[in-house]
Amino acid sequence: MTSPAKGGPAEGAPDVLVSARGLEVHFPIRSGGALRRTTGVLRAVDGVDLDVHRGETLGLVGESGCGKSTLGNALLRLVPPTGGTVTFDGADVTRMRRRELRELRRRAGMVFQDPFASLDPRRTVAQTVAEPLEVHGLHPGRQARAARVRELLQLVGLDPAVAARYPHEFSGGQRQRVGIARALAGEPDFLVCDEAIASLDVSVQAQVLNLLRRLQRQLGLTLLFISHDLSAVRHVSDRIAVMYLGRVVEVGPAAAVAAGPQMPYTRALLSAVPLPHPELERSRQRIVLRGDVPSPSRVPSGCRFRTRCPDVFQPCPDVDPALQPVGSAPGHVAACHLHGVVGTPVERERPDAPVDAGDPAA
Amino acid sequence: MTAPVLEVEDLRVDLRTPRGTAHVVNGLSYTVGAGETVAVVGESGSGKSVSVLALLGLLPARTATVTGRALLDGEDLLTMSPERLRQVRGPGVGMVFQDPMTSLNPVLTVGRQLTEGLRAHGSLSKAAARARAVELLGEVGLPDPGRAVDRYPHELSGGMRQRVVIAIALSNSPSLLIADEATTALDVTVQAQILDLVEGLQTEHGTGVVWITHDLGVVAGIADRVLVMYGGRCVEDGTVDDVLERPVHPYTRGLLGALPDLATDDEADLATIPGTPPPPTDLPAGCVFWPRCPVRGDARCETEQPPLAVVAAGTGGLPHRAATWCAEGEAS
Repeated sequence: MTSPAKGGPAEGAPDVLVSARGLEVHFPIRSGGALRRTTGVLRAVDGVDLDVHRGETLGLVGESGCGKSTLGNALLRLVPPTGGTVTFDGADVTRMRRRELRELRRRAGMVFQDPFASLDPRRTVAQTVAEPLEVHGLHPGRQARAARVRELLQLVGLDPAVAARYPHEFSGGQRQRVGIARALAGEPDFLVCDEAIASLDVSVQAQVLNLLRRLQRQLGLTLLFISHDLSAVRHVSDRIAVMYLGRVVEVGPAAAVAAGPQMPYTRALLSAVPLPHPELERSRQRIVLRGDVPSPSRVPSGCRFRTRCPDVFQPCPDVDPALQPVGSAPGHVAACHLHGVVGTPVERERPDAPVDAGDPAA
Repeated sequence: MTAPVLEVEDLRVDLRTPRGTAHVVNGLSYTVGAGETVAVVGESGSGKSVSVLALLGLLPARTATVTGRALLDGEDLLTMSPERLRQVRGPGVGMVFQDPMTSLNPVLTVGRQLTEGLRAHGSLSKAAARARAVELLGEVGLPDPGRAVDRYPHELSGGMRQRVVIAIALSNSPSLLIADEATTALDVTVQAQILDLVEGLQTEHGTGVVWITHDLGVVAGIADRVLVMYGGRCVEDGTVDDVLERPVHPYTRGLLGALPDLATDDEADLATIPGTPPPPTDLPAGCVFWPRCPVRGDARCETEQPPLAVVAAGTGGLPHRAATWCAEGEAS
């Protein structure tokens, strides 16, 4: 069901399905008065470079407010990017017209966090799953459509007999399966799962994780798995991207990032994940970060993690670090001056980039 | 260990619902010593939250029937007069709920909410209570407590708000702290901060802690003892090492098997527990876990309820117990 690669990738280079370059999503902060003057800018996504390879599962991790959901939405143009580019299978998503956009909506599906809020309570499972088929004119005819719905329900491990039921008759895990069936209806190449397991119990989470992995292999899907749960991300992903304050700060093969994080933030994040082994927990050195994440409307100059970084040193406030190769695994990159000062020097004149912004002590 | 701070004996909670009587907690017994942390783990609907709400008299009296005994420093919480219970909440038991946004009042300053409890239980003047509030905020690690005391909850981040809730819970130096999914809504880095904080305060004040969570990782980090709940019953308890490293009950094993492990490079599928927990209005007659159990090795499973019995001597002088017919032969 994946279309043949257009243009063909270069020898040895990964085949990229979705690509972001310098992607920015800035929201204006308006005053409450009648004039609604813009008083600031919230940099939800602020210069992201990221490739999603065809057929892989890319895990996107980061804390709440780091912009990971906005990034997922921006890749599908569910929020309009304010800068940079996104390409999907070679086509520029930011310039797509209505017809092309509709095709993008078919080829890229989305599974949302809350299976209670993302399903219409007044529609049966069959109506919910059939809607994308109707919108895109797939499997025309009532019979064919019903057959396709049954097939989709079976694919996600639901009994086709449930098609006539309503969402309230299902448990959270079953609802999430319905959400996945709907996302798969248009035979997408790309699936964005935004915290798709966050609201589920542990044993049900495992069921949904297994299902996603099976579907990915079976259908050759490309998956962007957005989650704050690092253990789950480690389990399903081929590669992991770490986000902090609107920027991707480390990307690499899942094993390399999990076992040998190269950016102090990734290190702290991983060390904070509690492991279900008491002896290990007692001996483990937890890196407890100072303070809170700065506001995305007051991003620190240079490296945006410097206000909380235990290893901060001289160039951090003055040079905005670029992603550079780190560690021994191929394709492992991080934005950190500890690996050599690479990046863009900060222009001091910029009024919206004060040096001390976001200092926890301030 | 000295006399326990909390002794719960055969706690049962029934709730009247339109669909019949829900047996939410069915005979729960445990003790919490001074400075000890007992983790109560289980999935949604296992009765873990209701079991502590019942202790504090926070369930609606019209629909809830609570029986059993719950001795806090020797005094039974369940038979207390409402006046006495009000005196005990605060100096006796502090409680931290899951969502710091809904457990704080959005229209009152942090200081106002802190001093309310301080003044209700002590004879502090307004100025003295405020000074104590600033002190408490400093103790829970809020930067610039002198200014934070005049802030409103919406001006603080999630982690900061939970620190405020903890400060309120600890303001009257309770002998027992109950935390119900207190870090579930927080990011892992903030969770690490809060866990450190509670551990520090506990060592300092000798507070007994009941920590309710579904996160076995958190349990491994903070608990001395673990109690696994399923269908309103305790299905396994023991020291944290025994329960997490040498689980006996098929449910505990299932829970641990379902967790993706950050530390290992495992390509295999996760173990899952088929089906869903039984509705509390219609619990199975035998072992509560029987309908979902992958083992089901005994004829009694279906008909006879297994008692919580010692399965191993256990570490740290505590017996390791499980309520299952399938433990023999597997525990060794």
